[in-house]
This record gives sequence, C-alpha cells and structure tokens, in this order.
Amino acid sequence: MTAPLLRLHGVRYRYPGATQDAVQDVSLSVAPRQFHAVLGPNGSGKTTLVRIALGALTPLVGRADVIGVPASQWARQELARTVGVVPQREDNLFPQRVRETVLLGRYPHLTLWGAERTQDQEAVDRALRACDAAHLSDRWLWTLSGGEYQRVRIARALAQEPQLLVLDEPAMSLDLKHQMELFELVRGLVDRQGLGVLMITHDLNLAARFADSLLLLAEGRPIAAGAPAHVLTQETVQTVFAWPVAMQTVDGRPQMIPLRKREESRA
Amino acid sequence: MRWTLLIVFAIVALLASVVMGPAAVPLNELLHSDIVWNLRVPRALLALLVGGSLGVAGAGLQALVRNPLADPFLLGLSGGAGLGAVLAIALHVSGPWALPIAAFVGALAALGLVYRLGLIGGAALDPRILLLGGVAIGAFAAAVTTAIVSLADAAELRNAFLWLWGGLSGASWDTVLIIAVYAPIPLVVLFAASRPLDLLALGEESAGYLGADVERVKRRVYLAASLLTAAAVAVSGVIGFVGLVVPHIARLTWGHRHRVLLPAAFLGGGALLAFSDTLARTVVAPRELPVGVVTALIGVPVFAMLLRRWTIP
Amino acid sequence: MLRRLFVFVLLLSACRTSARRHDTAPAQRVVSLLPSFTEILFAIGAGDRVVGRTQWCDYPPEALAVPSVGEGLPPNIEAVAARKPDLVVVYKSGANMTAVQQFERIGIHTVLLDLNRLEDLGPATRTLGKLTGHEAQAESLVAKMDSFTYRPLPPPTVSIAFVVWDNPPIVIGRGSYLDELATQAGARNVFSDVTAPSAQVSLETIVARNPQWIAVLSDSGKPPDFARRREWRAVAAVRDGRFLLLKGSLFGRPGPRSGQAIAELRRMLAR
Repeated sequence: MTAPLLRLHGVRYRYPGATQDAVQDVSLSVAPRQFHAVLGPNGSGKTTLVRIALGALTPLVGRADVIGVPASQWARQELARTVGVVPQREDNLFPQRVRETVLLGRYPHLTLWGAERTQDQEAVDRALRACDAAHLSDRWLWTLSGGEYQRVRIARALAQEPQLLVLDEPAMSLDLKHQMELFELVRGLVDRQGLGVLMITHDLNLAARFADSLLLLAEGRPIAAGAPAHVLTQETVQTVFAWPVAMQTVDGRPQMIPLRKREESRA
Repeated sequence: MRWTLLIVFAIVALLASVVMGPAAVPLNELLHSDIVWNLRVPRALLALLVGGSLGVAGAGLQALVRNPLADPFLLGLSGGAGLGAVLAIALHVSGPWALPIAAFVGALAALGLVYRLGLIGGAALDPRILLLGGVAIGAFAAAVTTAIVSLADAAELRNAFLWLWGGLSGASWDTVLIIAVYAPIPLVVLFAASRPLDLLALGEESAGYLGADVERVKRRVYLAASLLTAAAVAVSGVIGFVGLVVPHIARLTWGHRHRVLLPAAFLGGGALLAFSDTLARTVVAPRELPVGVVTALIGVPVFAMLLRRWTIP
Repeated sequence: MLRRLFVFVLLLSACRTSARRHDTAPAQRVVSLLPSFTEILFAIGAGDRVVGRTQWCDYPPEALAVPSVGEGLPPNIEAVAARKPDLVVVYKSGANMTAVQQFERIGIHTVLLDLNRLEDLGPATRTLGKLTGHEAQAESLVAKMDSFTYRPLPPPTVSIAFVVWDNPPIVIGRGSYLDELATQAGARNVFSDVTAPSAQVSLETIVARNPQWIAVLSDSGKPPDFARRREWRAVAAVRDGRFLLLKGSLFGRPGPRSGQAIAELRRMLAR
C-alpha cells in the first residue's frame, strides 16, 4: 500500500486577526489514480485548504502530508517536481508563446546554470499532446480562447511531471463545451497517466460525474465526504446551498437540478 | 544573427571610444598616447560597466515590480545620492573621493529606507510599496537637497547638481578597478535569478508553485539591482534612460527569457553608453554634452523603430 | 501702464521733497546688492551713504559695519525695504528682474548695472558717482582703474586654464572676467576659443591643450582635491602641482581692486 499522494488529517486553520476558523477538522486523502473534488459555497474554505495542502499555510491543528512528508517541510523545487498546481488566477505580465509558457513547467527540473535539455523539450511536447494543445504550440497566449488557455495551463502543470495535480476552479469561466472537455481531460490524465487529482470546483454536477470522491465543505467544516452518490443527496445539497433542488441520476452519478422557488401568494 | 550584431555594435562602440575624441590623436600614435591609455580606455571600460549594470538592473527591477515603466532611478537612489553629495560639499568634506563615497552612502541610506518601507506589510516584500516608497523617499531627499542648496553658501553646491546630471568625466583606472571588483557580485546574483524572474512574471503565487523561493528572489533582486545602481550613481551620476529603455529594446529582440535577456541588456546598455559618451565628447568639441541627453536622443528613435517592426498586431 | 501713470502722478503731487532722486538730489540712503558696488561706493567716498549691503560684501573693512540685508541672491525685498533706502543698486541679470519689479512696485528706486567685464567698471563707477553726487571722486577712481589695465595688451608668455569644477570639468572661456584678467596678466587662456563665460569640456581636451598653469578659485591656500584624482594627473600641470590658487573675494568679480588682482596674477606667474 503506497502512501497517499496527499493527506490532510483533522486540519484546522484560522487567518491572523480573523474571528473564526477558515477550516476546522477537515480530512481528505488523494491516492494515485484518484480524482478527488472539493465542493462548497463561497467562503467555505476551499482555497485555504489548497494552500494548507501545498505547505503555503501551516495548520494550527492536524497534519498536511505530501507523500508522507509534511507539506511545509518540502523544499520548494522538489515539491514542484511532485505537485503541479493550476491556481485560480494567473497574471501573466509579458506576452508569451504557448510553448514558452509550458516550458516554465520544466523549471523545477533544471539546474541553476544548466540549459534546457532534449528531455525537457520532449516533456513539453508530451504535456501539450496530453492536453490536446500541440497544435497551439506557436500561438501567442493572448490569441487563445478561455478553454484553450486553461488547457495550456494544465499542460504547464503536466510538464512538471507531477504525481499529483491540484486545480483551483479550473472551469470557472468556461463555456459548456470547454467545461466538458476540461473535465474529460482531467479524467483521462487520472485514468491513463495514473495521476492523483485534487480539484476545487463550484460545479456540483460535473464533479459528481467525473470525480471518484467528493468532499463537501460549508463554513470551513466538512459536511460529507466519500463517493458522489453518498455525498450529494437532496437533503445535504439543500441544506448546504440553501436552495431547493431535485436530484436525478445520469451515468450512475447524482445530478442536481435547482428548482425555482414557489411563492406562497401564487395560486 | 542578433547576437552577432550586438557584439559587433559593442566592439565598434568601444573602439570608437578609444579612437575618437576631442583631442585629435593620430592612429599611429594610439598605442603610445597618454590620453588614450589614461583617459579614453578607462572611460570606455567604465561606460561598458556602468551602462551594462544599469541595463541589467533595469531589467531585473521591471520584472520584480511587474511594471515596464520601472527605471533603476525610481527607487529613490538618485535622491539619496544627491543629498549625500550636497551634504559632503556643504560640510566641506574634502578628499578626491569625497563626492562618490558620500553619494554612495546617501544611495545606500535611501535603499535601506525604501527596503524598510517595502517590508511594512509584514515579512513579505511588496513590490508596489517599493515603487511608491522609492518615489516618496526620492522626492523627500530631493526636497532636503534643494533646501540645503538654497540655504547654504557655497556656489559649489550648484555645481554638485552638474555632477549629479551624470557623466563619465571621473573615469580613471582607479574607478574602473573599483567597479570591476564590485559589480560582478550583484551581476551574478541577478543572472542567477534569471529563471525565478521568468516565473515571477506569472505572479507570485504561481511562481511559488513552480518551485521559486519567491521571498528570497525578491529580496535578492531588489538588493542586487539597487547596489548596482548605487555604484553607478556614485561614479557617474544619474544617467537616465539606459535602465529604462535598454531592457525593452532587448525584450523586443530577444524575448522575455531572462537567461538571454539579462546578458543582452548588459551588452546593449554598455554599448549604448560607450557610444553615447563618444558622441557627447566629440559632437560639440571642445565642449561636452551631458551623456544622459545623448542616450535619450539615440535610444528613443531606436526604440520607436523596433516597436514599429515588432509590434504584434 | 495706467497704474504706473497713477503712481507717478500721486508721487509727484503728494511729495515734493521726495522727488525722483536720479533727476535731482543725490541718493542719501543706498542699499548695494553686489560686493563690487559696495567697494566702489566706499572707494568714491560715498561709504557713509551705504545703509545696506549683502552678506558677501566684506571689503573694505568699514563695510562690515553696515547692516546686512541677506544673501542678495535673490534680494530679500523686505530686508531691503526695512533699511528705508532711496536707492537700491542691483546687478543686472535675469534672475534679479522680479526683485526689481517688486522694488518699483513699492516705490523704491532701483538702478540696474552691468558688471561682467573690466570695461563695465568705468560706466558703473561713473553712474554710481552721479547717483551719489560724487562725480569727481568717481572720475579719479576710473582714471586709477584705467591705469591698471594695459594697452596695448602684453604678449602672452604662459598658457593657463581656469578650472571652476572638476567633475564634470568646467572651464572659463573667453566671455568671462577671469579670462580678461589672464590676458591682462600676460597669460593665454587655452580655452579662449570657447565663447561662453564657462563651459563643460572633456578632460582629454585639457590634457591635449596642456596649459602651463591651472588656476582655481580657492580660499584655503591648499591645492584642490581633484589634484589627487588619477584621471586629472594626466594633465601635466596637475602632475607638477602648478596651481594658481586665487582668492575668491579678490578674483571673483571686477571691482576697484581688479588692478591688484592683475598684479597678483602677474606675480604668481613670474614664479
């Protein structure tokens, strides 16, 4: 039994000067070949969780281990060779081509003065192919559509040759087609390349369709964890999201449909 | 091809610095000429070192503060240097190295103050505060300087401003030696930060996830760039434009990867300054133009030309 | 324009005793805003009329007893007005024009005089003589000052460069008073081809023109600091220590002691 790629156990964290905990008593575990999604309304502590998982924040209580070693103790470069992160926002300052930006993902593998080697170029090629972005290789970043840009960012994370991929709301501003393509891509990476994936997302339905396990957070606390069918029940969803829903099953996975509120005054 | 052109330009600029000048030295006497060996050669080398340092410092700073308008002299260093120099004169500090040392100390003081301000939000250095702090400290120092000049009595104080406007008149083998020993350390620090600077262009969070030790990089780049600039001001006053535009010209030609950009900015800045200095010395001979004027007059058209050719539609 | 006319009429009608001085009575209370004017005033016997001087006016020693009205650059209007002058003598320069207008506005009569070169001394002295009613003394001073200058000019026997600042090197050119002194003293300014009073030049030009002497304004009597800088030692005169150390108060400006300055310079060059 290999150590899980990422394991958080009973984690608690409060930002300095805050009146309440950002996360409390949260546990999760991501193994290779596992797609784990974290869901919850705004402000439920999802991004804080990612920061703790990556060692950017140290939990007040509990552990956050990457392959058995506390996240905060990893050397930056070594962690970057193990975990590929696609944060919510990227603020690219200078114009770049796709190939150049994906190459940045190889930096954790490069020595201080050494040049880029053939194996680095090959890793970039592989990453671009895996994300179906090879044809975009020479394009300037700003000419890409939202969906294409996200695929390129994932390709950069893949170029790091990580074992674990962490994505923070990757499909947030994408249209339907690109959302589906992105989730299919991630699912494919898990199935074909054996990666572990931790994804923060708002999208209940897509998470339920594609992920292996879910963690539902509300106000920093875990509400439910486990298989999608177990986590996304009508009662749970209605309570956490404070909205009436109807549930359906597609491909054996629960899908929720938000209902319009019926006003008492209407007959 | 581009590198060849740049290297050729640099060599031509250095040669021109040595061969041309207001004192007509015949070619056959070049190797024995006192003027050439004691004045022109050190001056050409100093131009290369100072121009190169300003180019690299400018490129590094622009990446650090994420602002293409950043110039090494935006960090308050020139204000501090000017104040140091004026204080030295007003207090009648004597000695052949009084002005450069006082200017250097003044620049370091400004550096310390701005750095301290940059840390005001906590342990993380905030580049935006560095910029604002630099402008503020620079303005404050300039105000104090003006007050001293208007209250104190020496006419020499007005001449101190001439010195501050920048020029390589103080070049000698002594000066070259000092800079040649001093500059490599911050230069190497900046070159070593090439990849982290590439990553920093994605934003601090992303850079950290790609393995950069963001806080360390910011500190080192800021200190190295500032130390280079402080030395440049101390030996040659404020030569504007090189640190601002040379990195942009280099980016338009070589792209954004700092491994390539920084060496190009060094050679380009050095060559530009050497060439400008030669023009400054010869165009209105026996008089001399301030070199900062010439760097601007040359640099702007080159920059505009490159923008037209390379601007992506 | 209308306002000036109004003031004129007002002055004329209101004060018969304080009629415009430069037309009739000599000035009784003079504020001098240039050390050379102060020297001239004392030299023509009008020293007792001087009620205000700048802090730089240190000659003759009697001048030190006169209250100071500040630096004089720019003139402190209130300090001058507090001395209740009926005449203010100002050096003619662009920088002083605002002050002159302000003096006129508060009814203080101001006279602007040129004093850049030796030939300005005569006219300035005569004007001051007329204004203070000391025309005769002024004439004899002018005659005395004329005797200091040599006509025809002595042939130059040595070459010289005046260095006002070292980094960047600023030298004195032909347009300046110091250059005139040099010519009178039999020295050739190697930068007399520069028409401006002062200009920035390259160090190598100084080396190439190889002046026999380097003149600097210095009150300390010690060689200047730049003599120890390596790049300046390429200049032969610096290497050999051939410096002419000129005292600022004597050599800085044309005045009654210009003759003394010329004689002093000749003496130094003869060493």
